[in-house]
Amino acid sequence: MSCVSGLQTDCEALLSSFQETDNVRFEVFAGLWRDRRFHTIFHGQTRPLEKNKFTQKALDLAWRYFLPPYTFQIRVGALYLLYGLYSTQLCKPKQKIRVALKEWLEIQRFQLDLINAQHYDAAYIFRKLRLDKAFHFTAMPRLLSFRTKKKIRETQLKEEFKELSNRVTRLITSDVLEEMMNVHDHYQKMKCLISIDKSQPDKALNLIKDEFVINIKNAILEYQQWQQNKMKSSSKAKDSEEMTDRKEGGTSQDSEGSERANALAKIKYKSYNAVAMASKSRRHRQVKLESSESGSDQGKVKSPRCKRSRERSQLTQKGNSLETKDRIQAIKKEVVTRNRRMPVITEEENSSEEDLPRPKRKRTR
Amino acid sequence: MAGSSGSAGCAVPEYEVPELHTRVFHVGSFGALWKQNLHRADLSVQEAVAEDGAAAVAEDLGCGLETAAELRAVCSIDMLKSPDKEEDPEIISEDSSLITLRIRKKALERREETIIVDRTCRQETFIYEMESHATGKRPKDPANLIEEGELFLTLNIFYPVIFQKHKDHKPYQTVLVLGSQKLTELRDSISCVSDLQMGGEFSSHPDQAPEHISKDLYKSAFFYFEGVFYNDKRHPECRDLSRTIIEWSESHDRGYGNLQTAKMEDYTFNDLSIKIGFPYLFCHQGDCEHIIIITDIRLVHQDDCLDRTLYPLLIKKHWLWTRKCFVCKMYTARWVTNEDSLAPEDPCFFCDVCFRMLHYDAEGNKLGEFLAYPYVDPGTFN
Ligand SMILES: [Zn+2]
Ligand SMILES: [Zn+2]
Repeated sequence: MSCVSGLQTDCEALLSSFQETDNVRFEVFAGLWRDRRFHTIFHGQTRPLEKNKFTQKALDLAWRYFLPPYTFQIRVGALYLLYGLYSTQLCKPKQKIRVALKEWLEIQRFQLDLINAQHYDAAYIFRKLRLDKAFHFTAMPRLLSFRTKKKIRETQLKEEFKELSNRVTRLITSDVLEEMMNVHDHYQKMKCLISIDKSQPDKALNLIKDEFVINIKNAILEYQQWQQNKMKSSSKAKDSEEMTDRKEGGTSQDSEGSERANALAKIKYKSYNAVAMASKSRRHRQVKLESSESGSDQGKVKSPRCKRSRERSQLTQKGNSLETKDRIQAIKKEVVTRNRRMPVITEEENSSEEDLPRPKRKRTR
Repeated sequence: MAGSSGSAGCAVPEYEVPELHTRVFHVGSFGALWKQNLHRADLSVQEAVAEDGAAAVAEDLGCGLETAAELRAVCSIDMLKSPDKEEDPEIISEDSSLITLRIRKKALERREETIIVDRTCRQETFIYEMESHATGKRPKDPANLIEEGELFLTLNIFYPVIFQKHKDHKPYQTVLVLGSQKLTELRDSISCVSDLQMGGEFSSHPDQAPEHISKDLYKSAFFYFEGVFYNDKRHPECRDLSRTIIEWSESHDRGYGNLQTAKMEDYTFNDLSIKIGFPYLFCHQGDCEHIIIITDIRLVHQDDCLDRTLYPLLIKKHWLWTRKCFVCKMYTARWVTNEDSLAPEDPCFFCDVCFRMLHYDAEGNKLGEFLAYPYVDPGTFN
């Protein structure tokens, strides 16, 4: 288990116990932090580069729980966690929290929600981070360097922290319920108007149950409760499994819902690797294929039709420069007849990559 | 006009291929949009006194003065500190419940046992010093202070030397440039051995060798970003290196779309439309090609190096291995010979002293048969 996965476990444990308190006060969070002496998470690092990298990872992890789709409470917890990590880190100057423009727009809304709901402690802490210049205002969440070979796999975040989302809750919001109630009232009144007895509708018009809106509401609440219970019990079962795992040195901490995501990621990862590893000569052939069948969309990737074509166009891009290179070289050979003005130098096969002075091995024993 | 192709799209960068690269966006518009969404205080590069008074808090949050004053105490960072004994942040306490610390402790113990750390440690120190050598620097002359709201671009520039051993990890250097800097400023800062290469065979008159270096002879160069070749046209003798490519593309109707050309010296990075994470090209010396990837763009921060004159700022470079003289095994090679009757191998590398001592008599007359070329080692820039 690497240091970073340990970090994830620790942060998630802290957020979990915050979630269990059913509370969003900073005071409560601070108590949990102190119990764990969480600031010591930065202790024992002596090399500055290592320190920077670890701190960056920690901030990045906390930041991701601060964004949707996590529940309100987890997001507040993540904000406190960010504040704690940022303030207690040991780097000089302090490592900053990266925030992408797209995320910032989301975060601004969140801050407004906090203020409107009078969660002043959370709002204050976000404001303080901002005043402390804790942020790097960036284009994207992470640096992108076109690493095709070893694609960094996304660490799986905890599913249990996500806002429960399903078609039922998305479809039937409180607004919708209210609207239904209004329509229903209106409907009843209309029926009364056309009935003989103006105080209640004719039996013949009695086609719908009177309490149906209330019934829907109850059904939904019941469903949500059931779903929550299911989540909790499954995560508990997982936890105990994890404990035994850990004793044996295992690292299974995937939550139930993420198993499918994991499987998908694996498939994607595999297929991606397969594409990336196509040999140079084959890549070349693919380029030619593409340029003869499709017309003018080579330089720029237009609205991707499907995943496959997107991947292909990446390859084409690479191909472009390959072909260009061949071409320039050919042109150069035509133009410049150097008559061996340059030496013939072969590459040494087994030379070591770096040429640092030899390490003086010190022996302690 | 080149550089502002209509497809520049939205100024909010987003993925085109997840985790790999973004869609095309216009750098300057992106910076402007960020600024629209921030306050002056967010952008400021002055170490300002934070307006943390109760009145300011009350106004920002829309709460009462009393609440504001209370918040300060309740949300203080002291709330997170454990009120116990002094502790040494270099030492991991024994009784911690944090898994991170248990793992780190084990890793440190392993490190103690195996002593190979030395090398990695030195490499790490080197990388760290490179990365942070300019952090926090401010200019002596306030005129050179980087303005608030300026953009920082991080570029990876790959070395053209494609050794077999670098197949998987192509070496590169990382530089920071400012959005308001011209492309030519980056061009002038790129150090590449091929600029120092001296063409020619000099075995008969070795003293005449290092007269001209390639940089002075071949000044042409271009950047390629999103369908546009930005050619260096500052010198009258500069050739349009991209012309042959474009003519070739058009004459064969290769389907590369509308390739355009522009003058490198007329464009700043803010003027460009680019994708982050996407490979582009820098070409000079006719065929020396460097892949360029813009890995990050962000607003300047007060902790950054704020001396404009230090940009483009090199923050990472690959430690290239150097060829040593075959004779003394000590100095970096300056000469390489082919078909050398005096050398045990072909090609053979020599430092200047050993080369002359072996190949010429006291009067400077050539001894034996050989071809000699001046050699510039890639490690020269280490
Ligand atoms: Zn070069
Ligand atoms: Zn020598």
